Amino acid sequence: METVLSISSISKRYGKIQAVNDLSLDIRKGQVFGILGPNGSGKTTTLSIILELLKSDAGRFQWFGKAPSKESRKRIGSVIESPNFFPYLSPVINLKIVADIKDLGYGDIDRVLHLTGLYERRNTRFKTFSFGMKQRLAIASALLGSPDVLILDEPTNGLDPQGIAHIRELILQTASQGTTIIMASHLLDEVQKICSHVAVLSKGKKLFDGEVSKVLAISDSFEVAATDMDSLAGAVKLLPGFLSAAREGEKFLVYFNGVIRPDELNRFMFGKGIILTHLSERKRSLEQHFLELLRDNE
Amino acid sequence: MIKLLKIEFKKILTYKIFWLLVGLYFVFLAAGLLMAEFMVNNMVDNMNRHSPIPFPHVAIYFFPWVWQNITFFATIRYVLIFPAIVIIILVTNEYTFKTIRQNMINGMSKAEFLLSKLLLILLISLVMTILLAIGTLIIGVAHTSGITLSLILQKSSFIWGFFVTMFCIQVFALFFGFMLRNTGLAIALFTLWVFIAEPILYHLLKAPFVFKNDISTYLPVNSILRVTEYPAIPVLKQVMGFTLQDSVGLLTCCIPLLYAMAMIGGVYWVLVKKDL
Repeated sequence: METVLSISSISKRYGKIQAVNDLSLDIRKGQVFGILGPNGSGKTTTLSIILELLKSDAGRFQWFGKAPSKESRKRIGSVIESPNFFPYLSPVINLKIVADIKDLGYGDIDRVLHLTGLYERRNTRFKTFSFGMKQRLAIASALLGSPDVLILDEPTNGLDPQGIAHIRELILQTASQGTTIIMASHLLDEVQKICSHVAVLSKGKKLFDGEVSKVLAISDSFEVAATDMDSLAGAVKLLPGFLSAAREGEKFLVYFNGVIRPDELNRFMFGKGIILTHLSERKRSLEQHFLELLRDNE
Repeated sequence: MIKLLKIEFKKILTYKIFWLLVGLYFVFLAAGLLMAEFMVNNMVDNMNRHSPIPFPHVAIYFFPWVWQNITFFATIRYVLIFPAIVIIILVTNEYTFKTIRQNMINGMSKAEFLLSKLLLILLISLVMTILLAIGTLIIGVAHTSGITLSLILQKSSFIWGFFVTMFCIQVFALFFGFMLRNTGLAIALFTLWVFIAEPILYHLLKAPFVFKNDISTYLPVNSILRVTEYPAIPVLKQVMGFTLQDSVGLLTCCIPLLYAMAMIGGVYWVLVKKDL
């Protein structure tokens, strides 16, 4: 797959704070790439650097296999920080300015206004917009001319649940058309729902990256019980990937390393002549898992 | 170039404050022109009270002098401040609304951004020069008897002096806008410099403490105002000892233009050097 963005060991320091620390990433065409990290982990700084708003202290990056330039930026649509538009101009004029800069015609303006549900308000001045509408106009502007890459910084921040659902749907729809998406978020749940790949940042350092399903794979635990608890205790230890077991009242809580399906477990026990009277899967919340990942790297 | 101007047009076309300030400039200018002749003759009347030989009343809006006189009144500090404030607002707005960042993100270069503002300044200067030329022609024709083409064209070089003045004062404003980035601060400091700081500096430098010098005439705003230094009113020449300016001097125009070039260079350097 063609590499869209290649970052090699960029660093950026603000006084005493190392905002980005020796970060390298490769993002390929068609990926929905999440940059996940808590507040202050360097997500926005990284996006600002790749959009040439900030200069990195060290390292370099390439867009579409070339040194970054205004021409590469014309192929990127982005929503970073707050929506930046002229308050005294209408959405249509604001979008025409964007189209002029990107060397696009005005033909796509109506489409993106419809997509973001702003068409009815196209001639009202921007300053009369609610926050949600401003954010949607920013997304409309980013989608203008169907760019090759879409960069989104916390795209659902400050939106109501309906707005969040709408924006997520838009992102997924755009991704399905083959647009590469780079999205920063501090919400693990959001990355899980939208992204195909993820890099986890903490204090400007990349902890790891890869496919969402692998990076965020979690070890499961099961609650099991049987009439003969003693032979059950012996049998669970023989299960593949067994980590530990703890007795909780009339049940065992068994931890595994990796993924094991409940039917596998049941069949295994049946094979050992143990009939389970209770079997339930207990998933650790992803949020909890994410926090643990960060804690492990303190 | 056309693309950049198209973008600038969209930014001002429905911006009320822009049109308000441009309108105010012409209102102040018209009021100044209406009052000027009256005030000069009022002065003549005052002088006549103490003079054995009375001076005749003067007219200032006839060809060829009308070029110089209207240009003079159109470029005094009090009216020049309006186009300057327009430019300060247009530049600092880009920082206030972060649209300069957005323009860069969308694929504009810093050089293009600066160029678009300079093109706008050139265009505003050009349009105002044309409007002023039309106005001057109308006023001149109405106040002159026995018009010939050569009489009309005789002092018309002053209109180009007006263009240079307009361009330079707006570049000076652009410099304040880009350097300070904050609308209120930039307008306050610009006004302070034009009306207070530079006049004080001017008089300090003019007083020959150590040696006789003419450094004061090279101060930026003063060098802009010197393009059309005095109105062409003969009686004032006699009474106050002005030397009458024949035409707009090429050298006089060079000094503010050099300032403008240095400021444009400075703005570009800071734009490239500093993060947005």
